[in-house]
Amino acid sequence: MSMYRLVYYSRNHIASDPALYENAVNDILAKSRVNNARDDITGALLFNAGCFAQVLEGPLDKVEAAFERIQQDDRHGDVSLLGIDPVDQRSFPNWAMGFVGISDADAVRFAGIGSDSGFDPSRLDGEQIHMLLRDLTMEEETAFC
Amino acid sequence: MMNTQVPQVATLSPRHIEQPSFGRILQSLSHPVFAIDVNGLIVYANTAAEVAFDGWVVGLNLRDLLPGFTLPNVTQFDRKSVLLASKSNEAYEATLAPLGDGFFVVDLRAHSKLSETPIQTDLDDLTGLAKRNMLMSHLNVARSRVLGAASFAVHCIDLDRFKTVNDTLGHAIGDLLLKKVADRLNSACRKGDVVARLGGDEFVVLQHDVTDTAAAERLASRIVDLVGRTYVLNGHTINIGASVGVAICDENSQPRDLLRNADLALYEAKRAGRGRYRSFESSMSARLQERRDMEVDLRRALALKQFELSYQPFLDLNDDTVIGFEALLRWNHPVKGNVPPLQFIPLAEENGLIVKIGAWVLHKACMEAATWPGEMIVAVNVSPLQFKADNLLETVSSALARTGLPAHRLELEITEGALLDDTDNVLLTLTALRDLGVKISMDDFGTGYSSLAYLQKFPFNKIKIDRSFVAGGNADSEAILKAVANLGSSLGMSITAEGVETVEQLKRIRNERCTHVQGYLTGRPMRPDAIPAFLNQPLLAPL
Repeated sequence: MSMYRLVYYSRNHIASDPALYENAVNDILAKSRVNNARDDITGALLFNAGCFAQVLEGPLDKVEAAFERIQQDDRHGDVSLLGIDPVDQRSFPNWAMGFVGISDADAVRFAGIGSDSGFDPSRLDGEQIHMLLRDLTMEEETAFC
Repeated sequence: MMNTQVPQVATLSPRHIEQPSFGRILQSLSHPVFAIDVNGLIVYANTAAEVAFDGWVVGLNLRDLLPGFTLPNVTQFDRKSVLLASKSNEAYEATLAPLGDGFFVVDLRAHSKLSETPIQTDLDDLTGLAKRNMLMSHLNVARSRVLGAASFAVHCIDLDRFKTVNDTLGHAIGDLLLKKVADRLNSACRKGDVVARLGGDEFVVLQHDVTDTAAAERLASRIVDLVGRTYVLNGHTINIGASVGVAICDENSQPRDLLRNADLALYEAKRAGRGRYRSFESSMSARLQERRDMEVDLRRALALKQFELSYQPFLDLNDDTVIGFEALLRWNHPVKGNVPPLQFIPLAEENGLIVKIGAWVLHKACMEAATWPGEMIVAVNVSPLQFKADNLLETVSSALARTGLPAHRLELEITEGALLDDTDNVLLTLTALRDLGVKISMDDFGTGYSSLAYLQKFPFNKIKIDRSFVAGGNADSEAILKAVANLGSSLGMSITAEGVETVEQLKRIRNERCTHVQGYLTGRPMRPDAIPAFLNQPLLAPL
């Protein structure tokens, strides 16, 4: 089956309550790891208090199923689908999640998430996608704070 | 707790009486008894229960036996029995009692009141949702349980733009989409709520335990949000929306009323622009009643001769002379008096009456214009619906033939709405009308899409610029007026400025290459018998 890449970004609905935020982020990390490993999905999920931005790569049916789960999640909203396209090969070697933003407090708070999931922006392939997501997330965080 | 039911003998304490085991007592009962845990899992069933439900049922969920059984019943137990039906449609009255430690005893009695509908398990093949019959039985049961503060709500849901998906991507994708919509509805609801598909893209949600309007509106808003999020199906990105109408059950409402009320609210949600929800308000039924009444009246108005035409003059700005009149429809309602066209034309377009009314207007206007002196023109508005009716050409030719009005003295005014759908056929009709000798003008230009493509597709005789640009007062509307007038004149079309009310406005449009003018300044609408006197009076001085 051919490989597809899906990219979206959305608004974070959970950041207003610190405890809820942290729990939700941990929960997303745990569930996504299990689901994505099972479904042969790689990619990256970037987040901050303003938004989520994610790229998912994998077989079409699995990527669609993952996106449908994501759509049904009310921890975020205003999901903008930036694209779903066939790709020759993966740009992301694994699935990782990390905080991207200028909030120092959040950067410290969520540092563990990144190292836990092997998130290292500098080592990610798919440089352009990553830069796009990064820019989007940065803008959203400032819009929110 | 069974002790109290054992006969007491005065001289002996209860412990001296030999008792059969409670299990044996339960086994001997002729009606089904279950014990369930807090999730509805059956941990005990007596013999009658196994007979009634065909065998070993311990380990199943009570919902597997009684699909209408919902967990909220258990947690919110109020010692009131509920009416449930088995999969084979046997009706039972179920009483629940807590046993402590998260267990409950469920006692079923065969239900004799046959008039009440038991829950039917009637599922939609495509989505696995309930179908109409099952929804109705759930509504009946929910209705019979409404007590005190906790009520239930009905949400009627229509998908926006679903037809387009079916038409452009095919039914296979359309079906996949319906399945995903069903998924999302299920995920928006709580356990025990009922999601039904009544066919096509019509869904209904029965929401339990609604204590206030806010609770119902939260779900409605969640449905609008969730169903309206982008779908990805077989690599296609699909965007649809959901419109939702909500009605909450009160002590007086019956299931059918509720569905109707939610449907009315849905209608209002769609009218307000779709992709949103509306809660039912009693004024909505009043409005509907009003519309129904008006429709009945409208159907009779033609036969009872309640319509008449008044005529507003338009002038040629070259020599400031009246060259014709626009026919305007008036409805003299016997009770309401003069009903403005804006109140009844949209309704007549919705129910198709506009075709008959339009034909009457054409005939009447031609008849009256035939009595006017000289080459005086009559302009008649034609609704987009009259083009769809497919007999416009015939109606126009017969009006001309029967009244003897020469074709070049009739001008038809169409709005761009007529050109939106089925453009090719409309253009054919317009060309045939022009070949008859009839003039065609584009009305209300500037208010809709104002697509320049329309001006290119058909050589209109005239463009009428909407009054909002003539009233002026700001640089923008003046710029638009100027641009449209220039455009029209370079395409060889006449330009009428509508709604001219002041000398100052008239002066401005004169400078902007408008060729014709119509408005209160140059003549108000008048009854047909006032026309001869109007034409005989000298020109207004300030023109």
